[in-house]
Amino acid sequence: MVTNQDSETLTEEIEGAEGFKTQEMLLNMGPQHPSTHGVLRLVLTLEGETVVDCTPVIGYLHRGIEKILENRPVMGGIRYMDNADYLSPMLNEIAYVGAVEQLMGLEPPRRAQYIRLLVGEMQRIASHLVAIGTYGLDLGAFTPVLWCFRDREGILSLFEALGGSRFNVNYLRVGGVLHDFPKGWLNECVAFLDQEEKNMAELETLLTGNEIFDARTQGVGYIDPQQAIAYGLTGPNARASGINWDLRVNRPYMAYREVPVKVQVRQEGDCFARYRVRMQEIWESIRLCRVAIDNMPGGTISTRTPIALRPPRGETYFAIEGSKGELGIYFISDGSEYPWRAKIRGPSFVNLQIIPEILRGHKISDVIAILGSTDLVLGEVDR
Amino acid sequence: MYKVIIADNIGSQLINGIFSWSFLQFIIVFISFFGFVLTSAVILVLAERKIIAWVQDRLGPIHTGPWGLLQSVADVGKLLMKEDVHASLIDKSLFLLAPSVFLAPVIAAFAVIPFSPYLQLPGTALATGIVYYVAMSSIDIVAIVMSGWSSNNKYSLIGGLRGAAQMISYELPLVLALVGVVMLTSVLANSGIGTISTQQMINYQSSSFWPGKGIPFWDFIFQGFTPWAWFFLVQPLMFVIYYICGLAETNRPPFDLPEAESELVAGYLTEYSGMRWGLFFLGEYGNMTIVSAIATILFLGGWSGPGVGFLTTPGMAFGWQVLGNILGIGYFLIKVYSLCFVFIWVRSTLPRLRADQLMQFTWLILIPVTLGNIVVTALIFLILNSFGLSNLVFLIVLGVVNFLMLVGFVMIISRATVATTRRAQAPAILAQRRAAAAQLPERAGAISGPQN
Repeated sequence: MVTNQDSETLTEEIEGAEGFKTQEMLLNMGPQHPSTHGVLRLVLTLEGETVVDCTPVIGYLHRGIEKILENRPVMGGIRYMDNADYLSPMLNEIAYVGAVEQLMGLEPPRRAQYIRLLVGEMQRIASHLVAIGTYGLDLGAFTPVLWCFRDREGILSLFEALGGSRFNVNYLRVGGVLHDFPKGWLNECVAFLDQEEKNMAELETLLTGNEIFDARTQGVGYIDPQQAIAYGLTGPNARASGINWDLRVNRPYMAYREVPVKVQVRQEGDCFARYRVRMQEIWESIRLCRVAIDNMPGGTISTRTPIALRPPRGETYFAIEGSKGELGIYFISDGSEYPWRAKIRGPSFVNLQIIPEILRGHKISDVIAILGSTDLVLGEVDR
Repeated sequence: MYKVIIADNIGSQLINGIFSWSFLQFIIVFISFFGFVLTSAVILVLAERKIIAWVQDRLGPIHTGPWGLLQSVADVGKLLMKEDVHASLIDKSLFLLAPSVFLAPVIAAFAVIPFSPYLQLPGTALATGIVYYVAMSSIDIVAIVMSGWSSNNKYSLIGGLRGAAQMISYELPLVLALVGVVMLTSVLANSGIGTISTQQMINYQSSSFWPGKGIPFWDFIFQGFTPWAWFFLVQPLMFVIYYICGLAETNRPPFDLPEAESELVAGYLTEYSGMRWGLFFLGEYGNMTIVSAIATILFLGGWSGPGVGFLTTPGMAFGWQVLGNILGIGYFLIKVYSLCFVFIWVRSTLPRLRADQLMQFTWLILIPVTLGNIVVTALIFLILNSFGLSNLVFLIVLGVVNFLMLVGFVMIISRATVATTRRAQAPAILAQRRAAAAQLPERAGAISGPQN
């Protein structure tokens, strides 16, 4: 654990190439910093402007979510899952209720599964929009972030109409979803998706072909596929390095067993590839939302479970493809209404481990570009 | 015993000098231009916020005054009332002086800007106007290093040094771009000797041929206002390069690395608060205005516009002359603020260049291009001169060649930046590959396809 004292005392003198002594500088980036996407602290060891080593220090956003989940009945704990990855709450909820359902052997009705697919993909769009917008902001482009947040407003208004709250919707329940769509909600959805396609086309013109953006992101932050697998990287970060692994396809769950997903993979492994994968995943999610709306089955939206639900004794691991990677819940129940343990496998926590590896040899400005491209959300890292 | 003639002379010089009309004119003009610089900065603060807001699909300041017009007043008032916070370990004298050192040359540079045929500071008579402007913009570099060093803060130091390196590097193509324009004046001058005075530059951009010469209406419009003779048509590439270097000189995006908010918090500005920070910002917007003003004078014909030349010919009545001068100021401001609008437009659109890419851009691309332009201009002139062709043909040929060079310049940049980045990143990529291969046991290949 690197403390403040180390910043002053830990400087090394190393022999330069021509025999003169240079000093390595310890630079502390964060926890409060406009670009470390949350309260991440990076202790960088710099030689001039080049990063020699990096120690991430986390824990500044630890709220004890897993401990809280042990003290709430399952239905009461769903709302705490929203706070883990605060940029994609619906996906967190899907993982949690999915884990409990898998332990109970309960299959939610088809309509509920399609609704979960719909809101999950919309949530993925929202999360990727934030990732892309803030990435542009880190690199100095002030406009994409506001366009992305304007598009997000569409999704958040739809969630507000659906569940009563924009962000932490608390809409999913064990056995299905809370209630059905309001009248006309699906038409609003379709209207939003049409508008979103136009907005995405506009956004692409701003960032993708821009030479400055290309120069900042291409060739920067290369992740080797072998390295990615060794560190357990998942999600768009891994798919940008050529690893064709998407839990919606390779371990299908819920409605993904019926709806095929086209996995977006790129081979270059640099920041630009990660950015492109996210953009293309937004397009793919828009398509999936349309498929879900067109094929929405009728029927009940939930098999009602008791409020003080007692899952059977046992343990299970259930993972979904979250917006950042494999979002898993390891759920241990002792038969009472309170979970014995609910461990959250946050994809950002695992993705963070590769940061020191890929930062070596890059300059300070590249640190920002690389951090932004890995799309870390500290809520998932610290829980 | 003789009188102390010197004292007597000084006395009469004082009386004749200070209490004369020309000194009064100087005072009025000086105060109004000083006011113009600061007012222009204040206007630009509001304009920037509104324009960037409109680009970003939002409204900008709307509460302070109608349509947010009093926002700048509110900003300045707030800055004046803020507590002046100093860190305790700063280098006091440098810290306190840096904002003034930043703002003073910007204001001083306005001495060589002619706003209209009659309304100008005596500095516009300076025969070395352009060199004076470049010298003033170089002093800003000292201010940035002062503020970066005295803040006693790693972030500020990095920002200050980056800023200094960037500004020094971009001075060179800026001056070389202006050299191209100076060469044009040499060609157009009858005596073969051109000018680097800003006042004369405007005169060189008005040709004596316009359609409908002799008819008073067309005389009114076109006398002095001959857009086809403006230098931006003859040397568009130099106009663009000068503008790009102006962006870098004023630390505006895409070259705002020294004040990069998301990377260094605020770079060399981190430790400044209240009016000291306000002075830095006034200096930055003043710098923007000055760069636009010089670009207007050298490339867009300065204060020339329909009616100005006609109304200010020496024979006209005083009232008409005043009107002509006011029109001149109006056209000048329109052009300057159009260029400032492009500054703001660029800021809202483009991301930031990294430090080494910045340096590569200027040293490897801009300087060779500007040097090449000088060579090409001279070659074209010599070739056409040996055929005995007139200046008009030279201007047209040069314009076409320069425009083609501009197109080529744009095409090369998009290829060159990516290529140099990949090559620059190659060592890091290779190091990673080697490290990965050394650490990891050999696997049979990456996972691909479903693993059911």
